[in-house]
Amino acid sequence: MANTRELVKRLKAVKNIRKITRTMELIATARFKKAMDRASEAAAYTRKISEIVADLSQASLTLSHPLLEKHDSIDNTTLLVLTSNRGLCGGYNGSVLRHVMQRLKSDAREPDKNLNIEVAGKRGISFLKFQGEPIDRSFTNFEDNPAFAVVEEIADRYIQAYISGKLDKLEVAYTKFESAGVQRAVVETLLPITQLTNSSKEEKSSSVEYEFLPSAEEILTEIVPAAFKARLFKCFLDAAVSEQIARMVAMKRATENAQEMIGALSQQYNRARQAQITGELAEIIGGAAALE
Amino acid sequence: MATNEIRLVLVTPEKTLLDAPVTALNFPLIDGQIGILPGRAPMVGRLGYGPLSFRNETGKEVVYYIDGGFAQVKGSEVSILTSRAVKPENIDITKAQAELEEARNRSASGDIEIKDRLEDQERARQMIAVAKAK
Repeated sequence: MANTRELVKRLKAVKNIRKITRTMELIATARFKKAMDRASEAAAYTRKISEIVADLSQASLTLSHPLLEKHDSIDNTTLLVLTSNRGLCGGYNGSVLRHVMQRLKSDAREPDKNLNIEVAGKRGISFLKFQGEPIDRSFTNFEDNPAFAVVEEIADRYIQAYISGKLDKLEVAYTKFESAGVQRAVVETLLPITQLTNSSKEEKSSSVEYEFLPSAEEILTEIVPAAFKARLFKCFLDAAVSEQIARMVAMKRATENAQEMIGALSQQYNRARQAQITGELAEIIGGAAALE
Repeated sequence: MATNEIRLVLVTPEKTLLDAPVTALNFPLIDGQIGILPGRAPMVGRLGYGPLSFRNETGKEVVYYIDGGFAQVKGSEVSILTSRAVKPENIDITKAQAELEEARNRSASGDIEIKDRLEDQERARQMIAVAKAK
């Protein structure tokens, strides 16, 4: 008797969980679509920037800018970690943070170097606090649609620091969105900028003679920071899209698992009920036989 | 596309704001205003702060405030890449004025800081001017 009641209770609980995970899956799907649209709209800007850079390099210019130059000794490194504010997204935060821990371990061998850690997202903040790593700056204001104005502020700070020599290297740990099926946690070096164009896709079919106003150098001084900002912004967008995908997948799994559990539990419940009825019947028959 | 038309593409890092045919357009470069008519030779320019104005296909004049960036003219296509493009009615004048005040009162030393201050002042002034001109 007690057994069936317990089973009913569990069954109800699992059904409720299924309802919640199913809803979260639907929400994540909707958010993923939105984030994806934003990311693809933002791609137009990056594409145009690299187009102009390609045009500039065709004009047989030597590209030189403080952001492109490597500093001689790398003493001050900043590691920017992009994680999510909310959990229930599978291995999303875990895989980024695993990369971060690896990076920190390799850094521990060079104790004279300075490594500043900046974290976006509550999950990463609490994890690194637990690990006892000092966090220099933290952001929790990034949700699933990071605004360019906010990212630009951060980027401006890095640019200033890099040019004035306070920063020698900027690394970003985030989840790179490669396709809807593949997202990878990576640690990427953003400063110094190694290459401006993603030249693999560029085809140099059109060679137009451009006029540069006011001069090619002027454009270069402006376009290098712009390219950096666009790239940093892309990191944030990628992270946002990947988070939603990870959540979608995790919640889908959870819903399926709940479904399976419901099946198993209702089978168990039915068996228990049947056994109970059989037991009662046997008792009645046994009782009647005893009276004869 | 007809040769007497220009395709204007206005792109910000967040989205493509506009992709429309126009007859002529006018925008600020870093060293002064420039007007683009159909058949302009290919050009890449650095933008300043100020109004981007053009007539759309219905002949109505449209103005955006643009915040630096680049312009690329290639064939009949003009691409404007800017970090921010705002319609004049969406500009917060009081905020722009506060920014101007702040920039004017800021003490700057060294070439970079002085240049920054001048840029900030120019940006705020242009923003106010565009907002008031509507």
